[in-house]
Amino acid sequence: MSFRIRMILPLIATFVAAVGYPLFYSFYLSLTSYKITQRWDSHFVGLNQYRDVFANSDYWSAMKVTGLFVVIGVFLELSLGLAIALSLQRQKRFRDFTRSFLLSPMFITPIAVGLMFRFLLNQQLGAIPTILDKVGFSYDFFGSGNALFTMIMIDTWQWTPFMVLLILAGLESLSKQPFEAARVDGAKPFYTFRRITIPMLAPILTVAILIRSLDALKVFEYVYATTRGGPGIETQTIQYFTYQTGIQYYRLGNASAMAYLLLIIVMIIVVVLFKQIEKTRRL
Amino acid sequence: MRKTGIRRSLLAAGVVLIMGIITACGGSSSSSSGSGKISADTAGTLRVLMEGVPDTDIVKGLLADFNKDFPKIDVQIEPIAYDQIRDKLVASFQASKPTYDIAIIDNPWVGDFARAGFLKPLDDLVNSTEGYDYEDFSAPLRSIGEVDGKIYGIPFYNYGLGLIYRTDLFTEARLSEPASLDDLEAAAKKLNSGLRSGIAMQPQRGYKAFEEWGNYLFAAGGSVYGSDGKVNLSTPEAKKALETYIAMFKSSAPKNSLNWAFDEALRAVSSDKAAMMVSYNWMLPTLNKVGGSAGALAGKFKLATMPGGKQVLGSWDWAIPANSKVSDAAWAFISWLTSKAGETARVSAGGAPVRTSVFSDSAVSNTGGGADYYATVAKILGNSEPMCLGSNCDEMINAVGTELNAAIAGKKSVDAALRDATTKANKIQSK
Repeated sequence: MSFRIRMILPLIATFVAAVGYPLFYSFYLSLTSYKITQRWDSHFVGLNQYRDVFANSDYWSAMKVTGLFVVIGVFLELSLGLAIALSLQRQKRFRDFTRSFLLSPMFITPIAVGLMFRFLLNQQLGAIPTILDKVGFSYDFFGSGNALFTMIMIDTWQWTPFMVLLILAGLESLSKQPFEAARVDGAKPFYTFRRITIPMLAPILTVAILIRSLDALKVFEYVYATTRGGPGIETQTIQYFTYQTGIQYYRLGNASAMAYLLLIIVMIIVVVLFKQIEKTRRL
Repeated sequence: MRKTGIRRSLLAAGVVLIMGIITACGGSSSSSSGSGKISADTAGTLRVLMEGVPDTDIVKGLLADFNKDFPKIDVQIEPIAYDQIRDKLVASFQASKPTYDIAIIDNPWVGDFARAGFLKPLDDLVNSTEGYDYEDFSAPLRSIGEVDGKIYGIPFYNYGLGLIYRTDLFTEARLSEPASLDDLEAAAKKLNSGLRSGIAMQPQRGYKAFEEWGNYLFAAGGSVYGSDGKVNLSTPEAKKALETYIAMFKSSAPKNSLNWAFDEALRAVSSDKAAMMVSYNWMLPTLNKVGGSAGALAGKFKLATMPGGKQVLGSWDWAIPANSKVSDAAWAFISWLTSKAGETARVSAGGAPVRTSVFSDSAVSNTGGGADYYATVAKILGNSEPMCLGSNCDEMINAVGTELNAAIAGKKSVDAALRDATTKANKIQSK
């Protein structure tokens, strides 16, 4: 065995143990009827679990809820993140303080953020409904039609700083010459932003969107801490639904099939996105 | 030759080690005599996982008395949040060396745990324990701990619901205890004012929505299961119950309370923001306690059965894990605490009753909520039913509660929600 292979062996072994085994075992589970409380009855069922997941309307509802959460949430985070990053780039004083202060939400664990908003938005105890009441405005943050938007707002509060961080780093690494040239040619700020800043930032924005989308897809903690999927199934996200099926209802075989199906869908989206990035780069 | 010798030595050492482990395991499991007559010399350490709530503190307070009878049994209670109990128990049930020697089981889990073989049947222990009087436990509570004709759970704490209302407001509005769903709706409307809501409701998706609405279902004369043993909520009674529930939620519940559960409803009632609530019977002594959470309102609350007299029942049950190595010590503790004397001591300290004889015990009726309160609790425990019996109760309750919540939120019609709840519940329970 060559030196190079021997050197990489520990990494391969760790990877197989930490990632490979759980992946393989959960795939195996997805092909069985495994249920924690009926282990003696567990048997190979082929693709039946996948067929059941395809036929499960609640799974697709959860997928739709998650899709809406990701698309709206990431769009808001990107827009706000871009606006804040552009402002911060021009800031002259207290730069370090402002930046560290703005980044603080993303250092809080998501379950703590969920619990914090559960109390902040609580109709009886929360500061926000109390202030709204004082100005004669009433809003049910976890009511029908509002709960998903509340979840998106919580996510936006916590993860916009991440967008700011990436975009600000991107902005500061851009070459100054095109901006100088535009200024000399008399280009207006919005024209410069649309025709120079955005195209030059495009690769960074794409990566930021991809990272945040994949992360937002995992939304679980906010739902667990606040609505538990309600009202009805309005905030039942795919991760919460899979958790309920596998852990709360013991059906690990079924939950594994749900997780694998999600993995396949996400991988297809990622591959398509990367191909799109490659195409843009070649142009 | 040398390599073969080493291999043989290793093999012999392995065999000795395995034999040692087997012997050690055999030694620990010998503490299960299968009889309810437990010697006072029985020794062992009992690790018990319990919810971090006041009733756990009451049990802790009785441990010194238990150790007077069983000085060699060390009971170690680990209080944790409700959300973590079930998963920790399931992990312990499947381990070769259990983490917990006694389990307390919430009512939706009993069927699954018993059929999975996680729990020991307790019939022999119950029958051979002198003076235990198992029949003295309230019959609906007993039914929760019995699965396929065997006893797996001994009632520990009742979660029977009832109507808690403000007597001063009822007197002022010249209202009497509601005798029907229509009376309840009318009372809630009459008590609803700019100062407070008529009733604090708990329509949160899942368990809470089903638990509260179940009382309305019984009050309307309906039931969860039909005569064929299958869930049937597509009935006129269920429709009447859900329509009334929704009408009351719209007309008399606090605004923006669609996500409310137990804590929020209790807070509303104790802070004079609501006149009534459907809640656990043992909340009454807490609300009426002088210097308690209700402040100046203490003493103004009363407990009634639901209109029609029947209500939803839940419970915590004591159980012995099948893999417990200290079954004798575990039964010594369970049978001591749930004996008539143990029940009197626990209920006198504020615990929720599970035995019927305790209601005629003057030592109990002179404490807590008083004789009137215990008379109502006796009625509640005498005529109540759990939301689910059998397998997959957690999933079934959540599915029905989700459909109900969708109807309350206006996302589904009453008929569609009840039809879908029936279909899903039957599919889940047949798995």
